[in-house]
Amino acid sequence: MDKDYILEIEGLSKGFPGVQALDKVSFNVERGTIHALVGENGAGKSTLIKILAGIYRADAGNVTLNGQAIAFKTPHEARVAGISVVHQEMKLAEPLSVAENLFVGGILTGRGNLVDWKEMRRRAKEIIDNLGVEIDVRAPVDSLTVAKKQIVEVCRAVNMNCKLMIMDEPSATLTDRELEILFGIAKKLRGEGITIIYISHRLDEIFNLADNVTVLRDGLMVNTVPVRDVTKRRLISMMVGRELGLEYPKEAAQIGDVLLEVKNLVRNGVLHDISFNVRQGEVLGISGLVGSGRTELARAILGIDKIDSGEVYVRGKKKLYRSFREAIKDGLGLIPEDRKTQGLVQIFSVKRNICMVSLDKIIKKGIVSARLEQQYGEEYAKKLRIMTPSMNTQVQYLSGGNQQKVVVTKWMMQNSEILFMDEPTRGIDVGAKTEIYHLINDLVKQGKTVIMISSEMPEILGMCDRIVILHEGKMVGELMRDEATQERIMEKCV
Amino acid sequence: MSETGTRGSAFLTKMSQFSKEYMAIIAILIMSVVFTLTSPYFLTWENWKNILLQTSTVSVAAMGQAIVLLTGNFDLSLGRNVAFTSCLGAILMKSTALSPNIWNPWVVILIMLAMGTLIGLCNGVLTAYAGLPAFIATLGLQNVCYGLAKLITNATPIATFPNSIAFFGRRYFGPMPWCVLIMIGLYILAQFLSTKTRLGRNIYAVGGGKEAAFFSGINVKKYTCLGFVIAGFLASFSGVILMSRLNSVAITNGQGYEFDAVIGSIIGGVSLAGGKGKIIGTLFGSIFLITLFNGMAQLHVDPFVQDVLKGFVLLAAIGLDVFRNRKRA
Repeated sequence: MDKDYILEIEGLSKGFPGVQALDKVSFNVERGTIHALVGENGAGKSTLIKILAGIYRADAGNVTLNGQAIAFKTPHEARVAGISVVHQEMKLAEPLSVAENLFVGGILTGRGNLVDWKEMRRRAKEIIDNLGVEIDVRAPVDSLTVAKKQIVEVCRAVNMNCKLMIMDEPSATLTDRELEILFGIAKKLRGEGITIIYISHRLDEIFNLADNVTVLRDGLMVNTVPVRDVTKRRLISMMVGRELGLEYPKEAAQIGDVLLEVKNLVRNGVLHDISFNVRQGEVLGISGLVGSGRTELARAILGIDKIDSGEVYVRGKKKLYRSFREAIKDGLGLIPEDRKTQGLVQIFSVKRNICMVSLDKIIKKGIVSARLEQQYGEEYAKKLRIMTPSMNTQVQYLSGGNQQKVVVTKWMMQNSEILFMDEPTRGIDVGAKTEIYHLINDLVKQGKTVIMISSEMPEILGMCDRIVILHEGKMVGELMRDEATQERIMEKCV
Repeated sequence: MSETGTRGSAFLTKMSQFSKEYMAIIAILIMSVVFTLTSPYFLTWENWKNILLQTSTVSVAAMGQAIVLLTGNFDLSLGRNVAFTSCLGAILMKSTALSPNIWNPWVVILIMLAMGTLIGLCNGVLTAYAGLPAFIATLGLQNVCYGLAKLITNATPIATFPNSIAFFGRRYFGPMPWCVLIMIGLYILAQFLSTKTRLGRNIYAVGGGKEAAFFSGINVKKYTCLGFVIAGFLASFSGVILMSRLNSVAITNGQGYEFDAVIGSIIGGVSLAGGKGKIIGTLFGSIFLITLFNGMAQLHVDPFVQDVLKGFVLLAAIGLDVFRNRKRA
């Protein structure tokens, strides 16, 4: 039986200096389906999307859209042809209203060439209502939550008469509940005949959502199969090229004394009366929706934001850090949420990034020792299996997983005892995730404490000894590992 | 893959790396060949001494700009800082109203340097701690300095200073003017400090990624501020050399240095985006700029035309920087 393909890709290749990002990739996308695209970081997904969206041009191969060969030179051409990308990092004009954002590039004008606000708002509202969500079309985009911004992007694509929507890791920043809404929207769009290419690292989503899945690995096409014909385990092994063991390799460590204790912590309007403690050797999870105060809690404890009342005890002693630096000196650390801008200086070399927190260790008599810097860099790169051509390579050229390992290294070198990790595995591939989990195991086995903030529920359930749940800045629950389930956390979150 | 192929490409990569880092040197060489062919006077020691003398003032201020650029900022007050501090020095040494001769020239120099540093501190505090855009803060200080220079000198040039300050601009060590040696010494020191000390490392880190620096426990405000402070100090140092070399002072001293300094820095490889480039490159960038105008003067290019050209060189330098950064991304 001949299927109706909206998109046919044949022998698509694209190389960059030093890497063959895509190597003769061929697959087809059926009209009116949700087609998942998976692969580890560096598998070639981004390159493929950028070719479809008119940002890159392919070296070889054919792409056919609705039976017509296409080779876009600009993103604009792609949009006109009906291909829209909903990006991972939002590309909206933040200070402008929702309605304006929907019409960016094609503002409606009425009589006398003036902007027809009424009609613009009416149409914007129609599109948004149709998707069954509630967003004020007059609200400036920067007042919306991340999830709603993403929906606005979807609406914009719909408004541009998009036939093929590419969703590039929309889930990376969403909570489970927001995701469900997004899934609902995706399914609705499918019902209206829009084809969706969905890219994600979270395999569970693919089973909930997609009809077919294409797996890429190292720029090569591994397979395209109907989702109902594969298991998660099979999918993972296709992605990494080997069978993975347990997904969450949690190993219990010796639990010791209380290292950190927080009593009645308040930051006006943000955090309300929060109390908890963490012991040596423990992994404590902090769960909650985006905006529930998870990152803010870490910031307050670490001296980044001011505390209005309440106390923090470290190793039994009362502490009030006036700056993050003081907290670092006292053995605390933070792997920040945004790896690209907060975790790393992109234009610095691997070794220079590694030594940024513990610069002291490579300074002898006031002078930075290049030899020590190289030595530490090599030592940790080997220990953490950081894949890099050399210690002098700028971190921006590393894959996401390897970049994150560099961030972890900064704090391992500093030997921080109490390490906060804010979304430590966001946007990195399955193999690298597992490696980060092993690192967490190693840290707690050395008698350290890890406090993990994560939007990925399975990760929290799989790696933490104890879970603290936040909701709107309040602590609404605490669960031990053996009593925690996704449902029990969820019902406290909402 | 043939071995010669990879070795050949490695050689090419190395060459392109070298040409990127030392573009200024290559540019100086090419330009020198051109001017040597067109002007018989160009390739004489007299002329090169002249080029180096002129470079010694601009390049010291340019070093300050380079450091500010490394932190990811921009200092528009440098030129007027040179003017104000040198006018201040001249007044303290010459003014009869302030009962002359009580001011030892060495004390005056210290006061000048202190004043320059203070101006830098104002820029730093306004930018790093009060959160003003560097453009606005330093533009403000630029006007304050210029106004003060006019105010204290009544916009009249002042000339002839005690012999003891001649050392900075007019005395020689063998065939080489001291100020050139001081300039080279300062550059070697700055190159060392910027790569081998905590101060230098943190200045690069702040410019390379402000947030990443903060989340690594670096005091971003302090190092941003320090960049301006050092630049202020160096501007006044440039003022000292200029005053001594010309043996006269006018409010137009140092005019346009902030832009010359940007040209010198960028051609020397320092990026406007911050955190990237070598300070020593700025020395070659400055020599390039001075050589260009020296050569044009010998070809009798109209000075007004030279000004126009300087504007284009600035735009070209910034365009080059943008291009370099875009290629990276």
